[in-house]
Amino acid sequence: MSMSVFFPSLPTVLTRLRLPQKPHLLHPFKNRLYLTLPGAAADNGPGMVSSATLEEKAEKKEGASPVDSKEKLQKEEEDSLVSNGAAANFKDPKWVGGTWDLQQFSKDGKTNWDAVIDAEVRRRKWLEDNPEASSNDKPVVFDTSIIPWWAWVKRFHLPEAERLNGRAAMIGFFMAYLVDSLTGVGLVDQMGNFFCKTLLFVAVVGVLVIRKNEDIENLKKLLEETTFYDKQWQATWQDENRSSSKKD
Amino acid sequence: MASSLFIAARFSSDLKPFVGLRQIPPEKHTPLSKSLPTPQIHRRFRISASKSRPKLSGRNLRVAVVGGGPAGGAAAETLAKGGIETFLIERKLDNCKPCGGAIPLCMVGEFDLPLDIIDRRVTKMKMISPSNVAVDIGQTLKPNEYIGMVRREVLDAYLRDRASASGASVINGLFLRMDLPQDPTAPYVLHYNSYDGKTGGVGEKLTLEVDAVIGADGANSRVAKNIGAGEYDYAIAFQERIKIPDEKMVYYENLAEMYVGDDVSPDFYGWVFPKCDHVAVGTGTVTHKGEIKKFQLATRLRAKEKISGGKIIRVEAHPIPEHPRPRRLAGRVALVGDAAGYVTKCSGEGIYFAAKSGRMCAEAIVEGSEKGKRMVEEDDLRKYLEIWDKTYWPTYKVLDVLQKVFYRSNPAREAFVEMCADEYVQKMTFDSYLYKRVVPGNPLDDLKLAVNTIGSLVRANALRREMDKINI
Repeated sequence: MSMSVFFPSLPTVLTRLRLPQKPHLLHPFKNRLYLTLPGAAADNGPGMVSSATLEEKAEKKEGASPVDSKEKLQKEEEDSLVSNGAAANFKDPKWVGGTWDLQQFSKDGKTNWDAVIDAEVRRRKWLEDNPEASSNDKPVVFDTSIIPWWAWVKRFHLPEAERLNGRAAMIGFFMAYLVDSLTGVGLVDQMGNFFCKTLLFVAVVGVLVIRKNEDIENLKKLLEETTFYDKQWQATWQDENRSSSKKD
Repeated sequence: MASSLFIAARFSSDLKPFVGLRQIPPEKHTPLSKSLPTPQIHRRFRISASKSRPKLSGRNLRVAVVGGGPAGGAAAETLAKGGIETFLIERKLDNCKPCGGAIPLCMVGEFDLPLDIIDRRVTKMKMISPSNVAVDIGQTLKPNEYIGMVRREVLDAYLRDRASASGASVINGLFLRMDLPQDPTAPYVLHYNSYDGKTGGVGEKLTLEVDAVIGADGANSRVAKNIGAGEYDYAIAFQERIKIPDEKMVYYENLAEMYVGDDVSPDFYGWVFPKCDHVAVGTGTVTHKGEIKKFQLATRLRAKEKISGGKIIRVEAHPIPEHPRPRRLAGRVALVGDAAGYVTKCSGEGIYFAAKSGRMCAEAIVEGSEKGKRMVEEDDLRKYLEIWDKTYWPTYKVLDVLQKVFYRSNPAREAFVEMCADEYVQKMTFDSYLYKRVVPGNPLDDLKLAVNTIGSLVRANALRREMDKINI
């Protein structure tokens, strides 16, 4: 099944990172340790409470693992009825009405967007490890676009941009020096040469596109992936070209 | 030389040289000249194609449709209406096929489906992201637009009955194998177990001779195996039908839910679809088939409050093809529907495409055989493939791209759900789903949509990287 090569290429990378938490049904204690870490940063109280209830819920879930799905559903129904109030839901004093209460994030009269981003990161991390039932009474309506674009740029784009520009500058300086020492052509004259301009273009694209060692492999796979589906559809036509029947 | 003779024959409307090309025994000439169609119709057929298709004497073309689902039923009806002797072989006439059961609006019109076949009209959908951000879509639908939810046993039976009423013979039997012919005019011999008139018996082994076969026998097609069509990757869809209390059923009156997330499926989605009097809760996966039960539990957990107190009345699973088979056609055998692999990516929709491909294939056979008067050959069936690929390739490709972009990872899914909140996206999505046409929208809106999509993806992935930092 060659198709499966491509899909797991990204998710398995992610699952590898999440591996310690994946069998969370079997390792409630590991989870408990893990949960207090982000909880400790902002709110100690709710963090501890929810970790305790998670343990309780995990044990209940472990108990309800017979083979028959029918029994499982009924047992879970009992579980949900029993552990209704104690279900390990994400709780945070700043999470109000299914979204982040921006008033609580204000610092010096302005919203501290970095803290909002941190809070959302913690919430998503929690939910990834402890998926919750979605609720109609308490719907989640948070949209990441309420965080203004410049907050994202400042936090995520600028450090990366700095790194990439630094790489480009180092490559540029070194190559200019090397070419000058080998050919005697100075920087200004190099820029007038077509070959040098091409090299410059290749260097810029390379710095932008290849940021980690894995990117080279990923790019090749991506290219193959974009045309894979087309090839599958056209397979029946290859067959026809090989056979001798004429087709106008 | 032969083609120029043909052209000359057309223009001079003197049929003798044309007849001479065909190498048919002399006694066939008189019926040939009487019933040969006018030159206008010949212009449609390519020059090389009509050279070797002999006229059938004393009988019409016989075609067997193996499989009586939407594809088989639609194909059999079109064939029968086109004057072809049709045999529809179905192994279980009351088969309650595991299926999502959603049909687009255009299918009701195109196939003249009576409205009482549709159990429910879904007009609202809820998309729920991994972090439980819930987005309602469907506000852009007009009052007469809906997604129809049908029971497969009802739909399949209706299409089969209509085929039967048009003149097709419905055979209750299990197709075993077929003998391929050695020359272009020899028949295919189908071997099947007939269940007619027997209750619970093993069935009588019978054979059937036909000139062409349409393989509409679904994802595990035996016809496909017989012709060496090749394998395809498939997803396993697992579904539990749950009868929930009436007050909870009100919520699902005309609403379907879609859950996305790594917990629910690594490459597909989990769903809650309302059926006639219960809901179907299910999920699917291609790459992690062994963990399907785990994904099903996760889906049930995500919908916990909305389905609590429910009883499971049926558990079912079925493979869903992910892409077309390497060979959809061999000789005078063509595959349609799930047997060919015509299930879209991203949404996993198959009923409409099955019925449509069955109909298109049948139309190609009717045309190629001139309403059953001539033998068909592979080129005639290949026309169906050509038209099919040309008409629906954009739809399939777009859905493939959407799946690759938005079902990749949790951040991509978060971005996907965020994008669904946009009204323009909803309008485009429903238009393309309900009417099966890719309508070019306003370019400015498209640009805004592209920018918003990239923005959503970038934000979600940035949050994801931060999440990884916490872990490490």
